Amino acid sequence: MAFECLKVERRGPVGWLINNRPDRLNAMNARMRDELADAWMQLDTDAEVRVIVHTGEGRAFQTGVDVAEIASDGVGMERYRRSVEDFDLHFTAWHQEVWKPVITAVNGVCAGGGFHWVADADIVICASDAEFFDPHVSVGQVVSIEAIGLMRKMPVEAVMRMALVGRHERMPAERAYELGMVSEVVDPPERLRERAQELGETIARNSPAAMAATKRALWGALELGLTDACRAGAAELVSMWGHPDQVEGPRAFAEKREPRWAPPT
Amino acid sequence: MSYRTLQVERRGTVGWLVFDRPDRGNAMDATMLAELEDAWRELDADPTVRAIVHTGNGPAFQTGLDVEQLAGDPDALREQSRRTRRAELRLTAWHNQVWKPVIAAVNGTCAGGGLHFVADADIVIAAAGAAFLDPHVSLGQVTAYEAVALVRKSPMEPIVRLALAGRQERIGAERARQLGILSEVVGEERLRERAQEVGEMIARNSPAALAATKRALWGALEVGLTEACRRGASELVALWGHADQTEGPVAWSQGREPRWQENARGI
Repeated sequence: MAFECLKVERRGPVGWLINNRPDRLNAMNARMRDELADAWMQLDTDAEVRVIVHTGEGRAFQTGVDVAEIASDGVGMERYRRSVEDFDLHFTAWHQEVWKPVITAVNGVCAGGGFHWVADADIVICASDAEFFDPHVSVGQVVSIEAIGLMRKMPVEAVMRMALVGRHERMPAERAYELGMVSEVVDPPERLRERAQELGETIARNSPAAMAATKRALWGALELGLTDACRAGAAELVSMWGHPDQVEGPRAFAEKREPRWAPPT
Repeated sequence: MSYRTLQVERRGTVGWLVFDRPDRGNAMDATMLAELEDAWRELDADPTVRAIVHTGNGPAFQTGLDVEQLAGDPDALREQSRRTRRAELRLTAWHNQVWKPVIAAVNGTCAGGGLHFVADADIVIAAAGAAFLDPHVSLGQVTAYEAVALVRKSPMEPIVRLALAGRQERIGAERARQLGILSEVVGEERLRERAQEVGEMIARNSPAALAATKRALWGALEVGLTEACRRGASELVALWGHADQTEGPVAWSQGREPRWQENARGI
């Protein structure tokens, strides 16, 4: 499949999804939106890919919907009305029900709709020169889905502040780290991709089946009250009992070798 | 409207709601309980007010119910008990469904029921000497509302510890910032100036978009993630076609401040 607005690559067990409209700060036009849906499915169905890294080309990671396209073609946001009203979205790994681990590596600016991929990733790391802000309310737009996802995952006050302050303030990488929005700040920033690849390879050493069930349990927990979430999580747990990885894992550990996991189904 | 236990003021686009019982740690007596509801309504209905700052006079921010005074006013105490039982409190901006941005500027001690105003604010900043404690269990009282909201908004262990340690322990302003309970600590003498600045910064954004954003984000605390996104999407789409969505980008491209639609109650 040929992509215009993305690069999709494999490096060992790690699949790479790279936003590739650097001259537009990787803003998402309609084409990129469609390509993202395909790229997630392509990487998810590739058995060689165990972990996915998502990053951007240029000085921005992602800056949300392409406002220039919205303003210029006479269709505006209306093109998205039906899919947003129905919450029928397909541009993040969570939307696409990708159960492989997803690492977002934030290079540079992450603004507005760019938070979708911070909220919907499993692991987030960033370059030391990354900056986060949400200009929606400064151009008369509502902040909603991205921030709702973030609020489940980090202290709420910080999310509210970004949402209400708009473009008049930016959060530096260090504060994002303090708040637990990201788990690692990579310095110098040029080392970001190298570090993301290392982290991806580290995670790829774990059982794909166990990681998928773990993801389902933890993301599912954001849907329910605590006791129901534990109940649903228990079902994921038990579903793995008897899986060959549960024999192979301890055996490889005892024999001091890398496990040979069952291919993901 | 005149108040006995609060100061309600305007400074440009920012409305101020100041607790004013400094000799009583700004504790809420019967009068303040009634006046809070009026003050939120007054500021919310004033179209010149785009953001609201909330702080206290004297060494304390807010120390909860003035139990002593309420004991001498059985009617007020009964009414407050009834509202507490039915979850019909009218103390905070959230209780009163204020959809304008609310900044709590914690000037000093915030104890017990004072935590309502931290839990229910959108943005919280504090003076370096501010401290948070919850003496409820030290007085044989249960902590519920305040901590229930705070555990949705910040790491849980520190909140549960605060609730169970009672008056024996407090969280300082800097620790509260690390935990993400608040976003900024400033010198005491600069607190109000900084709160006004943050208020003015927010007031530059579209009032209609701010109100819809608040509804989406606070509403998200009520339901599971997918359902919250679904409801949030309705708030998002509801504003499509609003005049502010044309004015915002035009003003940006012309390098000037936007002229937003007036919006009395942020609806």
